[in-house]
Amino acid sequence: MSIFDGNSLALLGAAIAALAGIGSAMGVGIAGQAASGVLAEDPKKFGKTLILQALPGTQGIYGLIIAFLILNKIGLLSGNMVELSQAQGLYFLMAGIPIGLVGIWSGIAQGKAAAAALQLTAKRPEQMVKGIIYTAMVETYAIFALLVSVLMWLNIQI
Amino acid sequence: MSIIKMQRIAVIGLDTDKEKLVSSLMDFGAVQLTDQTGKFEESLWKDWTVQDENQEAVTLLEGKMSRAESAFAVIEKYDARRKPLFKTRRVVSKADIISAGNHLEDEEKKVQMVSDFSHRLHSITDELNKLESDRISLLPWQTYRIPLTVKETKTCRIHKGVIPMTADVNMLAQQLEQEVEGLVFRLISSDKDMHYVAVIVMEDLEEQALTLLKQEGFSEIVFSGITGTTAENLDRIEKEKERLEGERSEVEAELTAVASSNIKEDIETYYDILAIKADQERIKTKLLKTKRTFMIEGWIPTKCVEGAKDILEASGCYYVFRDPSEEEEVPVILDNRNVFTPFEAVTEMYSLPDYRGFDPTNIFAIFYAIFFGMMLSDAGYGILMAVACFVALKKYPLEGTIYKMVKMFFYCGISTTFWGAMFGGWFGDIIQVASRTFTGHEVSLDPIWFNPIEDPMTLLYFSLALGIIHLFVGMGIKAYMQIKDGKWFDAVCDEGFWYMTILGLLGWLGGGSVSAALVTIGKWTAIIGMLGLLLTGGRHNKGFGKITGGLSNLYNITSYLSDILSYARILALGLATGVIAQVVNTMGAMAGGGVKGAIFLTLVFIVGHALNLAINVLGAFIHTSRLQYIEFFGKFYEDGGEPFDPFRKKTRYIKISQDE
Repeated sequence: MSIFDGNSLALLGAAIAALAGIGSAMGVGIAGQAASGVLAEDPKKFGKTLILQALPGTQGIYGLIIAFLILNKIGLLSGNMVELSQAQGLYFLMAGIPIGLVGIWSGIAQGKAAAAALQLTAKRPEQMVKGIIYTAMVETYAIFALLVSVLMWLNIQI
Repeated sequence: MSIIKMQRIAVIGLDTDKEKLVSSLMDFGAVQLTDQTGKFEESLWKDWTVQDENQEAVTLLEGKMSRAESAFAVIEKYDARRKPLFKTRRVVSKADIISAGNHLEDEEKKVQMVSDFSHRLHSITDELNKLESDRISLLPWQTYRIPLTVKETKTCRIHKGVIPMTADVNMLAQQLEQEVEGLVFRLISSDKDMHYVAVIVMEDLEEQALTLLKQEGFSEIVFSGITGTTAENLDRIEKEKERLEGERSEVEAELTAVASSNIKEDIETYYDILAIKADQERIKTKLLKTKRTFMIEGWIPTKCVEGAKDILEASGCYYVFRDPSEEEEVPVILDNRNVFTPFEAVTEMYSLPDYRGFDPTNIFAIFYAIFFGMMLSDAGYGILMAVACFVALKKYPLEGTIYKMVKMFFYCGISTTFWGAMFGGWFGDIIQVASRTFTGHEVSLDPIWFNPIEDPMTLLYFSLALGIIHLFVGMGIKAYMQIKDGKWFDAVCDEGFWYMTILGLLGWLGGGSVSAALVTIGKWTAIIGMLGLLLTGGRHNKGFGKITGGLSNLYNITSYLSDILSYARILALGLATGVIAQVVNTMGAMAGGGVKGAIFLTLVFIVGHALNLAINVLGAFIHTSRLQYIEFFGKFYEDGGEPFDPFRKKTRYIKISQDE
């Protein structure tokens, strides 16, 4: 039996999905740097800046969702892993890819947009919501990737 | 139409009536005065009139206001009372305002008192800082027992100072004591940078000793303004500090008592009275005047015209009302039925519609609530939201955008509860999980409609169908506006053919499962629609553009496709909420049954669901707004209206009640 049996491939799929967290970590980091800059000028804006900083965090959550769904479906969480064929394992692997990859780059891009929105908030706090909307535009593609991953996951028969 | 109709108002009156008119217009609060400096480009106006102003009075009032503002900052810091969650304006009766207005000097004294407190605190802090730096400079000399100011005796000289760490003190000491007769060298103490040394030397050998010392980088320290020994001085500083700190806590206690009394409210009233006065003076820059007359122009909602006439008659002014002309930019204020008012916040956040445009608030409100509910789609979260908003609305006298937002979220909470029950989400699957973990029997709680996690395709089709309806309504508004302007043909070309194309394609591609006839009908409807688009798309272009215009018009089908697919986010966000909630519950159940398990589950439940709720409420709000702004508004909205900003009593802290 090769090391790439069905179960290890499925776990690889879950791992790839969880990689979306890279994008979120970087995005939240970028936004956090900008947020600190804004706060240095006006400490009262903590609540507002925190919301903007949190926006790129969703990709990591979407990745977590898919990883969890895969782990749950193959029975890893309940302790009795189902024996998967190599093909089934590959299906799960592929289901992890959309959110894993899109999550990384959309998280980074969203972080940059959030940083710019933070600059906007620093100068014109009343325009903050528009900055949030701009930032959320990036997220659309992570949502679509999540959708594709979920649809793939759903229709895998085990 | 929910954009309020406006009229142009122009008034000319006698200078003697000016103050009275300005003040009654402010009370009336429904006239927006416009800037008239543009008139000076015409020589007629330039020769006869000047811009009115009273800059001196404005500056004076602004100075008082900024002093009151700095008093707020001090009070804010020392106010021991609990701060409310929402800042709301306090209701003050008219009589109280008038009586406070008659005693402005008293209020000014209160501001002065607060700033005196803050000055006292500042000077105490300054003194403490100075003492602390004295203390630090004395610390190395603790073991030096000769009074610090003694520099000489009858025959000797005493030098105190520092030598950098890099120098070898022992060598220096030996050298000095060998070469200079009778010299005493003492290393008092050392820290990481310096050696602190004292040298006693005979008067006539002083020069020689100093030369040697300076070679090693010695520099003299002079203690000025200090008498007695180090120990005595440290003692004195300690006592002084104690006294000052006592004084500081006394002043702080006094200030806390003052700040926690009603002084803040008094100063707030004072500030707002000044703000009103300042506005009354500032508005004069919008007045034109001659020697004995003045003139104002502005905008007024048509329904307020009668009230304004009464005021103008009473002031004995000459006035004219007229409808706005085509090219004038008219300020915009929205007016919707009570239920829809909260959703104006969404419209205002985007940008107000043009005065001659269309206010879609009452139309998209229902879509907004539905989309939000489907994205959050958990009855537990919905109930939490609705209850929290309801309590906030009852408990706090909220106003303006915050009031609208909270009320909107109240409606959205109800919608979320509805959709949550439809899809069977009650804090995820907590009831099933908890019953399974603790009793062994799973209590099932079936969704009223279906569970989207098991059957996402149904929800996907439903979301897209709602999206198509939403888009069609948006296009319908565009068509309505075109027809109103008499552009029947444009309405048919731009919207009619698209309706046919999209509906036809739906029937053609998806109607097969319903009936075969639908496919045929759909096919021909779509073909006619697409032909129409191809033929009319370039109707505004010339020559060759007529052909390319049609093609690019037809190509727009991709943008309609992406608009429709964009509504898939309703499904995705709904699934995200449900799945995260389930993850939380599964994690909570990992500790098993029993008391420990229950405690663990409760903790995980509270933290996990609070996080999920926060993230997904934000997500649902943003993405519902986006669907309105990009997909819906994109079809018809004409923005760019200036908000109507009438001359009124703009108060920051108090709300003047209308009853006497």
